[in-house]
Amino acid sequence: MQKTDLINALAEDPHSYLKEIKQKNAAKVIGFVCSYAPEEMILAAGALPVRLLTATENPHRADLHFQSYGCSLARSILDAALAGRLDYLDGVVFPHTCDTIQRLSDIWRINLPQTFFADVVLPVKLTSPAARQYLLDVLQKFRGDLEAKLGAAISDAALQDAIRLYNAIRRNLNRINELRRAHPGLISAKDYSDWVTAAMRMDRAAYLSLLEAFVADREQAAPGHPASRAKKLVLAGGGCTTPDIYGAIEEAGGVVVDDDLCMGTRYYEALADESLAPLPALADRLITRPVCPAKHAGLTRRADDLIARVRRAGADGVIFILLKFCDPHAFDYPYMKEMLDRENIPSLLVEMESDGQAGGQLQTRLETYMEII
Amino acid sequence: MITAGIDIGSITAKAALVQDGRILGDKVIFTGYNAAAAGKRVYEELLAEIGVTSKDVAKVVATGYGRNAVAFADKTFTEILAHAAGAHYADPRVKTIVDIGGQDSKAISLDDKGKVKNFIMNDKCAAGTGRFLEVMARAMEVNLDEFGSMSLASQAPAKISSICTVFAESEVISLIARGEKRPDIISGIHESIAARISAMLARVGVVEPVMITGGVAKNAGVVAALSKKLGVPIEVSPHAQQNGAIGAAILAAAL
Repeated sequence: MQKTDLINALAEDPHSYLKEIKQKNAAKVIGFVCSYAPEEMILAAGALPVRLLTATENPHRADLHFQSYGCSLARSILDAALAGRLDYLDGVVFPHTCDTIQRLSDIWRINLPQTFFADVVLPVKLTSPAARQYLLDVLQKFRGDLEAKLGAAISDAALQDAIRLYNAIRRNLNRINELRRAHPGLISAKDYSDWVTAAMRMDRAAYLSLLEAFVADREQAAPGHPASRAKKLVLAGGGCTTPDIYGAIEEAGGVVVDDDLCMGTRYYEALADESLAPLPALADRLITRPVCPAKHAGLTRRADDLIARVRRAGADGVIFILLKFCDPHAFDYPYMKEMLDRENIPSLLVEMESDGQAGGQLQTRLETYMEII
Repeated sequence: MITAGIDIGSITAKAALVQDGRILGDKVIFTGYNAAAAGKRVYEELLAEIGVTSKDVAKVVATGYGRNAVAFADKTFTEILAHAAGAHYADPRVKTIVDIGGQDSKAISLDDKGKVKNFIMNDKCAAGTGRFLEVMARAMEVNLDEFGSMSLASQAPAKISSICTVFAESEVISLIARGEKRPDIISGIHESIAARISAMLARVGVVEPVMITGGVAKNAGVVAALSKKLGVPIEVSPHAQQNGAIGAAILAAAL
């Protein structure tokens, strides 16, 4: 299918697409490093929000600033920027989530001063009564920063439009997740990942029309889709930039039916309430969306959510895909595994670098896991 | 019924023939560059030695990292499943397996029926593997066959603190330069492997009886150090290096 080709190609190399669209639409391109970025605000300012996800095999430029035991994703992004590969960006937004992103923000501000730069200092504890008011203030400040630096007013009407567009995208991505849960194998794990990644990079209106066509196509194919005999899996963890592993999982006899990834349901599952004023709608969405391990929304919220996903999909097991040196995920892993163990849900832990290849050892571990669950 | 198991490891390729639960024979050769050719050669040589032809063999199962290169296999299983089957065949009571091969090591726990309950595999690093011992034996100028038993004579094992093979080698060279006794250094090397393996075993849980399989099981020093570290006796698989191939042949019989 031609449409999927474009989406797959965009996952491989977003840079040429982004340079082209920037020229064609005369639009500003604003990078962001984490799924907590208030993208609607960037879009309403007339700019294209683009999630930065790069894999650099040998980030030697970043090594001058980051310790080598820092997360490979942050190191890769910094390396790409220092090498000039992100020169088309008009600015970058750093939501404060994990420590590494906060340090990346400092390093960026000092070493790459030529571009627009904004920190979005989110509350860590999302469930306290003060969090919402604080978040409203943060969003208001971000709105002012954007307006000042991009020289564009962000009207409430433009924000409402952006919210509606994002909600439409999220509804369709949720439909894709429902489809793969109901019809395992109908959408390959790699295609799913590429579609979610493209949602963070493409011109959003153009993306939505492609996505709607893809959903319609899969809806049509669903009734005739043969029942899968593969082991049904839920993926858990962070931003997975190693599409290799999806092929490896399927080759080993597994099929992904749900996830709690930052490049998956955590990004799109929650919608903003269109009946509210724009800022409260955005604030409420950030507070109620599936939580990242760098944020707090209850002691066992992430494990409860993961177990519910496994039950809902009737999954056979969980695969944790963690980026090496990702501390927030590593801290959450032991308690989450313990809770899965108590529920008799088998799990496998795979630690990867952002440019990691799925080698023979990983294949052996995956195959054995599929055999014993 | 005769079945065959082919285990293509990173360093050696193994073949085993099993007839109705009895081992007819086994063979070990170096894998070399071409895993597919090694699999074919070790199988054909074993067939010739035992005096049977491939037509007499009902099923072939391939295992090991080169399992997918064995074109004539009816099915492949990972070496974790094959070692579990092999150890269960050798001693059905076994609950925990340590498999230390050329380039990886595994801790495997079994249930009462010999089914794999859980496993941990080392992570893309040669520490605590056969390759680590090869590097150390070369640095010590000791033949690998003597390397294991030589450490048993040590009274005061040297301390090797590096987990990384490359750093550990330079640490060993420093110990040599300081004039430490050879058995003490080798004993220190074995203790460092035992420390790493026992940490892996702790994650799957050590339930007796414990069996060690894989080529490194032939190293008496490693076995002694590991047993001391865990505080439990360790049964050495009677066919340590061929255990995976035998397990594969057993799995083939159940196809």
